[in-house]
Amino acid sequence: MQKAGSKPTELKISRRTALAGLSAGAMAVAMPRLGRAADDTVRIGFPTPLTGPFAAEARDQVKCAELAVKLVNDKGGIGGRKVELLVRDDKLNAGEAATRTLELIEKDKVHAVVGALSSAVQLAVNEVTRARGVIYVSISQSDTINEAKDFSKYTFHEALNPHMTTAAVAQHTFKKGMKVAHLVADYAYGHEMLRGFKRAQAAIGADSVGEILHPFGAADYSTFMPRLMSMRPDVLCISNFGRDQANAIKQAVDFGVKQQMKIVVPVLLHNQRLAVGADVFEGVVGGANYYWGLETQSKSAADFNGAFRAANGGAIPTDYGAYGYSGVASLLQAMQAAGGTDTDKVVDALEKLQYDLTKGPQHYRKCDHQSVQSVLVLESKKKSAMANDNDLFAILANDAGSEDMLRSCSELGHAT
Amino acid sequence: MTAQSNRAAATKSVFGALDRFGDQRVLLSIAILIALPWLLPSQALAVNVLIYGVVVMGYNLLFGYTGLLSFGQAAFFGCGAYVTGIAIGRYGMPWFAAVASAVVVSTILAAVIGVISTRTRGIYFSMVTLALAQLVYYVALQASSFTGGENGLRGFTVDRISLFGLQINFLDPLNKYYVLMVFAAAALWFQSRILNSPFGAVIEAIRENEQRARACGYDVERSKLLVFMLSGSISALGGCMLALHLSIVPLDILHYQTSGMIVMMVLLGGARSFFGPFVGAAAFLILEDVISLWTPHWQIFVGAIFILFVLFLPKGIWGTLLETLPIARPRR
Repeated sequence: MQKAGSKPTELKISRRTALAGLSAGAMAVAMPRLGRAADDTVRIGFPTPLTGPFAAEARDQVKCAELAVKLVNDKGGIGGRKVELLVRDDKLNAGEAATRTLELIEKDKVHAVVGALSSAVQLAVNEVTRARGVIYVSISQSDTINEAKDFSKYTFHEALNPHMTTAAVAQHTFKKGMKVAHLVADYAYGHEMLRGFKRAQAAIGADSVGEILHPFGAADYSTFMPRLMSMRPDVLCISNFGRDQANAIKQAVDFGVKQQMKIVVPVLLHNQRLAVGADVFEGVVGGANYYWGLETQSKSAADFNGAFRAANGGAIPTDYGAYGYSGVASLLQAMQAAGGTDTDKVVDALEKLQYDLTKGPQHYRKCDHQSVQSVLVLESKKKSAMANDNDLFAILANDAGSEDMLRSCSELGHAT
Repeated sequence: MTAQSNRAAATKSVFGALDRFGDQRVLLSIAILIALPWLLPSQALAVNVLIYGVVVMGYNLLFGYTGLLSFGQAAFFGCGAYVTGIAIGRYGMPWFAAVASAVVVSTILAAVIGVISTRTRGIYFSMVTLALAQLVYYVALQASSFTGGENGLRGFTVDRISLFGLQINFLDPLNKYYVLMVFAAAALWFQSRILNSPFGAVIEAIRENEQRARACGYDVERSKLLVFMLSGSISALGGCMLALHLSIVPLDILHYQTSGMIVMMVLLGGARSFFGPFVGAAAFLILEDVISLWTPHWQIFVGAIFILFVLFLPKGIWGTLLETLPIARPRR
């Protein structure tokens, strides 16, 4: 039936045209699949949250991962095979990350996966890779991935974990009898950091005077600050990540928190300090996996900075960027040692690997494949003390890597 | 018979039958789904189209056919996924029993939410479903010993299934696709059966004129509740499929953004059309997948395309296609 007023349309699409059109469309969509011919390139999948609140950190990770691949390719690749990095946006969403990882394994036939920034995302990627026997090097902070429940022989964890950073930071800031208050982001990352701080507190003999949970991604911290100040602590631990860290510290400073107590964070973020400015962050102490200023103390840091500067027009690498570099580069070193991409041989090589890429010696602990590495404790400099725009932090301590920093294998549930 | 009428008949069978003929539309939809993994850039994407197609199809029953704009469909999608995962991982149930129990639990959840929400109308209905669905989200967030909380549910990978003594490697993407497609086919048949029944006519009558339906003697409240439950159970089946596919359940599945995405998909594909939900899910996911490979600013493009659709093709892709071809007018 025709609708009143509408023009009678003449049907012009013949079956042949329709079929031709449909098959052309199908071909166009199927092209990327057909295009992947069998070749001997070594392919590394790299899911990272290019969109969302951690995009700045993710971009640094990609730059550094690309640098690691470039340096290996410049020297002839892995036994003559070229290395290719396949970057995918996981949108900081665990479901999206799992889908992207499935695609990387099933369609792109990657030989290993490196990446992820949030705890939920890395656990999702790990679930997909371990079921399919694909090596995964996680570069996201998490305590959970070390535990026996989520571990597999294919799972490696290059990043620091909350237990390590909080212990190092607490050791250099807490004293016996000190009063400590906590402002914590109400999700896995915050909870793990809080647990780490409390454990360190108990060991040192400092007392908790209260903890406040704030929602992930909160913009307004004004209601929390008076409550935290009324607890009269000596130290305030702010355990959150990304923009939350910048916003929370900014508002704490506005409330005059710094005159009353010291502000301590588990991980002092390079990009957030840049985003907010020296005056706000002045005197804040926190842990880090890497800081470019380490180059005066460490030859590996100087080499890494030099290579990054040459590839990125004089810019310096950031903390999260360094994870991207060491995660990919350690895997490629293991592939070189294993003489190819045979998974069992590469796993074996990773377990035996002693590597020194950005800051000193590192290795993967046998039982949970956690990278044993040094932890930096940094203090944000005041503006007048900064030599240049990149001179953000003073290095208070550089705790050398040791298995004593980690939770023991039996505590994590691994057979010992 | 002239050549033209022959040609018209052929085209009619391709485009028209999908929406016009009761049993044939199910078979034709299944035929398209069988070909799907060969048409899309990756099988993981094809499985996602299948899953979201089923979820959106369930939602279409509520929104497209009954005219109830719910913003809480993620609750049933997520409930199906979580119960499947918990049943397999925690209680060691076989996967098909897990799927069955997940659909039952989700239908009960839909009954509870439905009893409260179908008492309201219009914007209030949307808001109540949104609020109750967020409640489910926070329950899943807090009950972390069951659900894994923020980290999501893990540890229930189904890698091998046996059917009639046949061992199937469920990690193989094609096997997985065709096993899950059986669920999608069952859902398609079920939806078609509902729409062809007198009850299907009643819900469309409620959409067109609730007062008149009531005056005709139909129990509007009970029909709304029943359609709410049916819609929830079909979307929950999509959730079960997602759990089996990804072998994780992300917490975001319960978030209101997922509900929003379901609404977007149904509008993109065409509400009130039988196969529209699959077209909408495919269009949305392909756009997202392909554009985000090119640029991190994919959201701008997806958003712009969505706005263009709302402005110029309010009936969605499939709805407009059926409308434009005069011989393939959808059922009214």
